[in-house]
Amino acid sequence: MDIAKLFNAFPGAISQGIIWGIMAIGVYITFRILDVSDLTVDGSMATGGAVAAMLITAGYNAWFALLVAFLVGMLCGLVTGIFHTTMGIPAILAGILTQLALYSINLRIMDGKANTAVNVNKFHVLVTSRNVRVLSFSNPIVFSVLVTAVLILILCFFFRTEYGCALRATGANGAMARAQGINTNIAKVFGLMLANGIVAFAGALLAQYQGFADVQMARGAIVIGLAAVIIGEVVFGKLLHTFSGKLICVSLGAVIYYLVMQIVLWLGLNTNDLKMLTALVVAVFLAVPHWKSKAFSRMAAQKGVLEDA
Amino acid sequence: MKKIISLMLSLCLIVLGSVAFAENPTYHVGVLQLVQHVALDAATQGFCDALNEKLGDQVVIDVKNASGDSANCTTIANDFVASQVDLIMANATPALQATMAATADIPILGTSITDYATALDIDDWQGVTGFNISGTSDLAPLDGQANMLHELFPEAKTVGLLYCSAEPNSKYQVDEISKYLTELGYECRPYAFADSNDVASVTEAACECDVIYIPTDNTAASYTETIANVVDPAKKPVIAGEEGICTGCGVATLTISYYDLGYATGLMAYEVLANGADISTMAIEYAPNFTKKYQKERCEMLGLTIPEDYLAIE
Repeated sequence: MDIAKLFNAFPGAISQGIIWGIMAIGVYITFRILDVSDLTVDGSMATGGAVAAMLITAGYNAWFALLVAFLVGMLCGLVTGIFHTTMGIPAILAGILTQLALYSINLRIMDGKANTAVNVNKFHVLVTSRNVRVLSFSNPIVFSVLVTAVLILILCFFFRTEYGCALRATGANGAMARAQGINTNIAKVFGLMLANGIVAFAGALLAQYQGFADVQMARGAIVIGLAAVIIGEVVFGKLLHTFSGKLICVSLGAVIYYLVMQIVLWLGLNTNDLKMLTALVVAVFLAVPHWKSKAFSRMAAQKGVLEDA
Repeated sequence: MKKIISLMLSLCLIVLGSVAFAENPTYHVGVLQLVQHVALDAATQGFCDALNEKLGDQVVIDVKNASGDSANCTTIANDFVASQVDLIMANATPALQATMAATADIPILGTSITDYATALDIDDWQGVTGFNISGTSDLAPLDGQANMLHELFPEAKTVGLLYCSAEPNSKYQVDEISKYLTELGYECRPYAFADSNDVASVTEAACECDVIYIPTDNTAASYTETIANVVDPAKKPVIAGEEGICTGCGVATLTISYYDLGYATGLMAYEVLANGADISTMAIEYAPNFTKKYQKERCEMLGLTIPEDYLAIE
């Protein structure tokens, strides 16, 4: 167990974390802003990867592939939104249904193959894990930090516009939002589209980073996304109160998630136990706010008793 | 922010340099396996046995399993590259792709890969990759399997090809064997299931054919009992791509051994590590030998007479 090896593994964990952080920002929009648990992401992330892999291997520009992935991701969100609003299916089920359907669609996108390689020797990709220890602009950390920054700026701008505020109101208090004349159904559909567009965008980056797209590549993505949202809130929630700060927290949460994974691997634990350890780590982070509030209320109660006496 | 990143990266580089000096002369090999699975486990075991026999105390093998999450492959590959292992063995397609994306320098050997040209997206395939990757292919002798099916069931008209749509290798084999079977005069119908939940119903549908063929499919291998519960009552014979599937639900197979395949990969690793072979010019190797095998009880149940050159599966 050599601490130097761990440090040497950090750049890889950080860049992987930032890419998943983009995905987690998408999850944040549905989970925290819209107050909807959207499970579409397990499918739409793979869709983004599949679209990007097919376009890049067909010779299209990687930027163009990102754009198309974003648009196709929005379509996935639209389907979930329609399931949820016009068909009245509960959000969690609507997401599961879309996710299920996306498995077949992802296979169709990849021409019936379950796996498409994006050969970094052959195609120009924007991020690749190969350059993670290179000191230049080709380093995926530089690129993904820039992309995250731009994304957060755009989202901050958007959620300050009138329609952005309407979206936030929809999530905060649906009845009140409707009373203000906001069509909450359309707002929800749009929120789901935006979130899944971002998730698919992250999937497109991930496919380039890891060198392939696979129908199973985003299995369990929602767990990583939620973990990032919650870890970010627990660790940095006290420091950053603004909207942009909260999004930065989410991104940092994903980085912490992957750093913890890397440390677990470095410790040399049996990788068969990896999923259990992941679940435990997330459970602990989930429990921290609960314990904290309990401790505070107990302290407050004691204080109250003293004051009464 | 950029300053911090570059500072951190340079720190990593310095640390990395000092590690390189401190290293002792043993070889450090990382094994990245996609998922816990009978065939893949056997290949990893064969690989480790070959290296341990050849190098003994001189080699340290670190086996890591991504537990089926391809995102974990990238994390583990990053761990191996960061620890500056001397060689990485990648077991199954996404493991190989993630490792390839992670390093252009460390030699990588693949195993349980059916077709390297597809897995790595190489046009104009010549049997070598030309970069830091070589390995072994688990491509079963599909023409041989088609002939075996013909030998056992010359009267049959239709062949149902049962496989999992999530597995690129299975799709490849199904496409390939269709060509041979069509040449032999059979009508081929593909039946793809998405995951364990629809194995039974898709198998049910495939039973409308006279014979069923299953390639070396990881998902099918995990659910042979489910398949057997459908095909046995329907009295439909299954020709399997490998022994595990044949034992569980098939009548006969022309099989490769994943242990032998892993062992062959281990010998390639020895050539690279100890004898300094250039991995970019090493040809992809195939399974050393094939055996015709049959499942005795099921053949008796179906009243099949099996030619004498077939071995009964123990």
